[in-house]
Amino acid sequence: MTSPNGNILRAGALLLRVLLGGIFIYAAWTKLHTPWEVFAISIDSYQILPLRAVELVARSLPWFELLVGILLLAGLWLRSAAVATSLLLGVFFGLMVRAFATGQQINCGCFGPGELISWKTLLRDGSLLAGSLALTWMAFVRRRRAA
Amino acid sequence: MRKVFVSAVLLSLASLAAGPKFDSNKMIGGASAPITLEVFSSFDCPHCRIFHEDIEPRLMNDYVLHGKLCLISREFPLPAPAHPYARDVAIYATAAARLGKYQVVADTMFRTQNSWALSGKWWEAMATVLTADEQKKVQALAKDPGVVAEVNNDLAQGEHDGVNSTPTIFLTAHGQRTALPPGSPNYELLKSLLDNSLSK
Repeated sequence: MTSPNGNILRAGALLLRVLLGGIFIYAAWTKLHTPWEVFAISIDSYQILPLRAVELVARSLPWFELLVGILLLAGLWLRSAAVATSLLLGVFFGLMVRAFATGQQINCGCFGPGELISWKTLLRDGSLLAGSLALTWMAFVRRRRAA
Repeated sequence: MRKVFVSAVLLSLASLAAGPKFDSNKMIGGASAPITLEVFSSFDCPHCRIFHEDIEPRLMNDYVLHGKLCLISREFPLPAPAHPYARDVAIYATAAARLGKYQVVADTMFRTQNSWALSGKWWEAMATVLTADEQKKVQALAKDPGVVAEVNNDLAQGEHDGVNSTPTIFLTAHGQRTALPPGSPNYELLKSLLDNSLSK
């Protein structure tokens, strides 16, 4: 028999998995259906990476986002996928806060071109990061309880 | 009557397929070039100046002069009160375009941007590259509803396309129009994008 708390935890984890998985797959699609240079220009506008690294990230990150999204939706390797999601969102959020705080009016690059970093994008990505951290916590708690 | 209607529909479809309307006086390179870059910019925007002065000359040498690229300037004057002169400069530059003087006016307005954007003396800057006769014509044309409408149409087109910052560049290649992230892009990345588009 499952406890009510266990059911709530499971339902919460499922909701977060579907939400984050769907968002990651959508984010990957918006980048993969345009030439890689379009995303590279967004990354370059943050002015943190040399050009070689910009190209590497622009070519590989969308595929990694797609993989993570699929793993989250499928519930496979959940702890690893949740940790990867949190790390990615943590890095994205940190970079966006830095750009916003320094007054850089640049494209966030989250879902293709045309979205400037603003309070709205910070709130959205901050919420996603909070959700991802909660999912990571749930994935580890559930594992510990199962053991 | 039916034939006329069908012809009108076909013409409309053809004009839609041709993409957004633009001023041929603001075009550099041939319309038959395989790729097109439309640049929505505001004359008082520093990143637009960087694009105009650093990127455009390189595009000219590497692509436009070889017939590979058509570069189109579109007006997207940033709104007042933060940008009090942007709209007037766009209208007068569009008026100058009717005399075939757009590029020389654009060069001057971007080169002297720091000065007139602060002082408000943008007409004095523009007038330096126009003869007395041209100045009169530009001043008259700037009141022409067609010129004002052209700026308004560019602005409306930009807003429709999701432009919210300048410069915003649209690449059209193989019939597909792609928005680039706002700002003046790194030239190496832009070149890679154009080369890959041309090689497809």
